[in-house]
Amino acid sequence: MFSLLGGIFLGWSLGANDASNVFGSAVTSRMLKFWTAAVLSAIFVLLGALIEGQAGIETLKGLTQLTLQQAVVSSVAAAVTVTVMTVLGLPVSTSQAVVGALIGIGILNQHFNISGLGKIVACWFGTPVGGLLIAVVLYKVVGAFYNRLNLTMIQSDILIRCGLIVGGSYGAYALGANNVANVTAVYVGAGMLSIFMAALIGGLSIGFGILTYSRKVMETVGSKLVRLDPFSALVVVLAEAITVHIYTFVGVPVSTSQAVVGAVLGVGMVKGIKTVSTRTLANIGIGWFLTPLVATGIALAIDFAVHLHYIPGV
Amino acid sequence: MFGFLFKKQQQIETLIFNYIKNFRKTQKLFSDAFTSCKADPFCSNFNFLTDQTHKYESRGDDIRDEINDLMYGKALLPESREDIMRLIASADKILGHFEKILHMILGQHLVIPDFLMPKTEELFTSSMESCDLMLKQIETLFSTQQGIRELVADIDLLESHCDHIERSLLRMIFDSTLELARKMEVKELILMVGDISDQVDRVSKRINIIRMKRIV
Repeated sequence: MFSLLGGIFLGWSLGANDASNVFGSAVTSRMLKFWTAAVLSAIFVLLGALIEGQAGIETLKGLTQLTLQQAVVSSVAAAVTVTVMTVLGLPVSTSQAVVGALIGIGILNQHFNISGLGKIVACWFGTPVGGLLIAVVLYKVVGAFYNRLNLTMIQSDILIRCGLIVGGSYGAYALGANNVANVTAVYVGAGMLSIFMAALIGGLSIGFGILTYSRKVMETVGSKLVRLDPFSALVVVLAEAITVHIYTFVGVPVSTSQAVVGAVLGVGMVKGIKTVSTRTLANIGIGWFLTPLVATGIALAIDFAVHLHYIPGV
Repeated sequence: MFGFLFKKQQQIETLIFNYIKNFRKTQKLFSDAFTSCKADPFCSNFNFLTDQTHKYESRGDDIRDEINDLMYGKALLPESREDIMRLIASADKILGHFEKILHMILGQHLVIPDFLMPKTEELFTSSMESCDLMLKQIETLFSTQQGIRELVADIDLLESHCDHIERSLLRMIFDSTLELARKMEVKELILMVGDISDQVDRVSKRINIIRMKRIV
């Protein structure tokens, strides 16, 4: 049980960080109370993990062969990477950190599923692009429908508010379904957990992170989305949720933050405005490139440290 | 069916319609005071009507505060909160004008000279007409949303008409043989009446922006 702590910590930090991508705008703009958002997120994350978490777990566990010790090493390496990148102020994807750590273990084992890795990297490219395209289509289609409704000011307000709650809950569901693999797939690969137990423990640890530490992150990260008008914020949340859900069907854990950035860019394109600064984009690019490399390095370093032996007299 | 979930929003809507109703009542009292006593500010009803106008103006403030309190209780999206607050604050300035005009007449014992009366009446009537259109526009914003742009154009025309009358009245005042102090007094009154349609025009344009913001 002790060896699961690395995964639980990773799930906790994932929940604390990524809940802001689904409910950040609703909470920071005071459309929704934090506790309502947190409880809804935690419930839907767990449901997503239990109902649809299996595909991602299968993909990640198939990347390399793992012993229990290596599973712990990869979990800790991913958690350390997320912490280091966060301290450096770079946007970080837990999915990339986990895969980077597994690459490190694969190098050590001299065994790696290259086709599986290719599929994952392709999805990493596809996440922001998918978010962008889906946001463009949603904005146009839902926008046309919304205009036809000819709602009063209060009705429009109620509709968008409900949309943000439903969209946020769907986003939380997609987050759980897609990202639970990051948390506990390595333990399934090491034969320590069944897929159901992995989804349950992973979903609970992400939910725990949301309930205990996501408020602060929501208040800081979510405020970036508040600058969008309410309809655009709704489109961003829905586009992010749909993108992440699509990759859940593909069976590849992806970054919700990157899907959000893609969606925000898409909304900006439709409206003809600059929604993300060049500096933010550059930081995301650096984070995107560095996260797997740093995680690979840290996994190798931790594994090396674990195998050091003290030889008296030398 | 799910109305109970949006009780606060419904309350805000009801309060906005109450505000409009109260605005109409205040406008009626102001109009009665101005038209019935314009030639004689010491007529028996003037004090009463001025007090009543003040009373309903204060009631408008109370309704506005109630709406603000509800909105800060996390009802409505932040953008809508801001739009409604600014809209009501902007409309409230008109009620403030009504009260100030009556107090000016009462406090300064102002009598509009006969030769200015026809044009002043025209300015007053057009200003009141613009207020009626503005209230219709606010009601439309919170109901069908149809015809807001047309109302903006109508109000704009009335505002231009009022400006034209105002300028002509000012010329008449300073071409007259009235004492300088009286000229200044009457000029101030005419400017204040003229401000009504200017403020109505600002509210009307704000309403149009609020509507445009909600078109995706």
